[in-house]
Amino acid sequence: MAMTSPDTAGLPPRRRFAGSRDLWRRLPVTAKIGALMLLFWVLTVLTVSLWPLADPLAMVGRRLQPPSGEHWLGTDALGRDVFARTMYGAIWSIPIAFVVVACAVVIGSTLGALAGFFGGWNDSIIMRLVDVTVSFPPILLAMAVAAVLGPGLANASIAMVIVWWPIYARLMRAQVLEKRENEHVEAAVAGGAGRLRVLGVHILPLCWAPTLINATMDFGQVVLLAASLSFIGLGATPPSPEWGSMISEGATKFYSWWIAFGPGMAILSVVLATSFLGDGLRDLFDRRSA
Amino acid sequence: MTYHPRKGLAALMLAGSALIAPPALAQDSDTLVIARSMDVNSLDPSRAFCDTCQFYLTAVYETLVTLAPDNQSLVPNLAESWEVNEDFTEFTFKLKDATFADGSPVEASDVIWTFNRLKNVKGSPSFLMDGLTSAEAVDAKTVKFTVDAPNSEFLNKVSAPYTGIINAEVAEANGAVSDDTAAEADKAESWFLANSAGSGPFQLASYSPEAELRLSRNESYHGEAPAFAEVVVTQIQDAVSQAQALETGQVDIAMQIDPDTAQSIRSPEVTTEVIPSYNFVYIGFIPGAKGMDGKLTAEVRDALASAIDYDGMLDFTVGGNGEKQAAPIPNGFPGTAGLTPRSQDVEKAKQVLADAGLSDLKLVAGYPNDNIYGVDFNIMMQKVQQDFAAIGVELELKPLTWAVWRDELGTGEWPVTAIYYAPDYYGSGQYVAYFGMIEGFPWVGRAGVGNDELVVNPAESDLYAQALASAGDEADAAYQKLGEEMMKDAIIIPLVSPNLVLAYRNDIEGVRYSACCNLPLAEISRN
Repeated sequence: MAMTSPDTAGLPPRRRFAGSRDLWRRLPVTAKIGALMLLFWVLTVLTVSLWPLADPLAMVGRRLQPPSGEHWLGTDALGRDVFARTMYGAIWSIPIAFVVVACAVVIGSTLGALAGFFGGWNDSIIMRLVDVTVSFPPILLAMAVAAVLGPGLANASIAMVIVWWPIYARLMRAQVLEKRENEHVEAAVAGGAGRLRVLGVHILPLCWAPTLINATMDFGQVVLLAASLSFIGLGATPPSPEWGSMISEGATKFYSWWIAFGPGMAILSVVLATSFLGDGLRDLFDRRSA
Repeated sequence: MTYHPRKGLAALMLAGSALIAPPALAQDSDTLVIARSMDVNSLDPSRAFCDTCQFYLTAVYETLVTLAPDNQSLVPNLAESWEVNEDFTEFTFKLKDATFADGSPVEASDVIWTFNRLKNVKGSPSFLMDGLTSAEAVDAKTVKFTVDAPNSEFLNKVSAPYTGIINAEVAEANGAVSDDTAAEADKAESWFLANSAGSGPFQLASYSPEAELRLSRNESYHGEAPAFAEVVVTQIQDAVSQAQALETGQVDIAMQIDPDTAQSIRSPEVTTEVIPSYNFVYIGFIPGAKGMDGKLTAEVRDALASAIDYDGMLDFTVGGNGEKQAAPIPNGFPGTAGLTPRSQDVEKAKQVLADAGLSDLKLVAGYPNDNIYGVDFNIMMQKVQQDFAAIGVELELKPLTWAVWRDELGTGEWPVTAIYYAPDYYGSGQYVAYFGMIEGFPWVGRAGVGNDELVVNPAESDLYAQALASAGDEADAAYQKLGEEMMKDAIIIPLVSPNLVLAYRNDIEGVRYSACCNLPLAEISRN
């Protein structure tokens, strides 16, 4: 038992990595639904340009027409097809969320791991920086950064990475601090392994589960924050069919409910999907915090 | 602390009911409630400059002359009669017997003090007193003004609500100064946010920014008493919420409902009237912008203006509820009767651009991300973007916050912008003074960005002097020529003059739109 980390203590060790089919089978139903919804959006991003949809930037009908057989979600104030715009909107929202989460994970985890492993003034500086960043409400900080950099999705992404990395720094630091004390690490140090080798080979591989779970759940939150920034005019610039800016257009034409309905449902589905999937993954990998 | 679900639920319901129950039901009361998104910059008549200020100042202060309901002719207000000399340089007003809210009489000295303060305080509306050289009291009830050059529009200018007469004694006692040092020495602006010192039918009761503006009846008003004892302007941000407040009876009048929203109002207890307005939205070209290097010549600007589908614009921005407008002078103002609005000519536009070697022109448009007079600027600019794309011009859109837009305007950050204008009085001169390509005028600086020669039109200054030195048909003819010249400048391209929606409960009477004063509150009553 001495070599078993607390993570795997409650699970039969051999079954843990018994193949992806097994993993899928053990996922709760909600997580499977979430995974399928997310898969749908990823496929949409990859293939939407091949779909027989109307041009999302072109006028295709009269303005403010309610949903019909021809325009499934009606037309907006410029006579553009809301359904086509919603589907094309995924091209903006999904990759951005992916990039933002990936950057936040890489930056946050690296800094967190260094802080936790080396301790001392490294730890102090990095963690104070984290404290300062998380002491601002995320939307406010993102607004401030985006307002300074100017509108545009690239700037909004930078703003969101700045808001998000500290979470991963904290997560990773806590994990590293804990795993650093494991006996197998002591054994590796005693065996003459270098510090970076100890960190990279003996500690980090045990720390990824909470980060992965958190990243999955944050994916939806990033989509939501990106949409919020666009809604207040700091994200996507027109005429991009970004979900947040579409909802903003819909809000001024409130009685044409269909303009905001499409992108609203799209955001809802992504956020729900990632929450479901994240919950399921946590049940599987991180029993303690479930 | 343990969580008590029931308590939580009760708290939620309580909070919910607070939202549902209107704070004060407007109907059948002595209070008039108006829904509006307020844009107040100040409540000091000499410093205020906003659409809300227009009707507030009209209710609380009185001008020498005012605009009749026909929105064209001037009628007596504080002045019972007036005389103008032959070359429009001397204006003599005879005051009627009127009193301020504190009971003291309105005298020539108050008028002179007010006009001097307006001029010297150098606030946003101070341009109204440009050219005023002397103001003297002939006797206690007669006042004479002299201007440095003929100005046939001076009479119209003193109908602007910003020229409302202030009780000089009261204002001075609270820090107001009217002499040359007023720009620095006058400390009364904050006093005016909580008090008023006018002779109008109402007085300021209280003002809380972004929330509420409350007026109470001036009980010692010298004229006919207004019907309402109290007027409350309540802050409601968007058209949809204003319409809902109107339908539920929370408010009596909603001031900023756009025609699309007006169509969706189904309550039989609400009246909506769609009427033409004197407001307009326009795009402005900035040839002096960074990276333009003389590319935006008058021909190119004209070609770009020809690319715009004006009929489509009218449909997409206001659902057809508006008018096209030729020059940057609103339809119905002097000199506009003979002007023909631009029309789309894609082939010509393409040809001109090809000849100029600009077939792959790229432009950036910076504009405030806002919704004004029912026009969503994002929608409007996306339409411009589509129209420009049809002639091969790529327009990048940069919607900005107001603060950023104001900072960047005049620095040449972008070659295209978009904004709106509403009149302060009836007269075309104010538009020449703002949009004219005459040395030293505001838009020359904005469009030229230091290179005035790019945009100055020498013909305009003579025509402007000619217009101000004449009246009637002669002035109209000069303004028409000025309108034609400004169209040739192709700096200001009016896109739409949106219609205005008057929306009010059926029991409200007397709601009208005034070119100077927006909504004259004293004329409104309840049946």
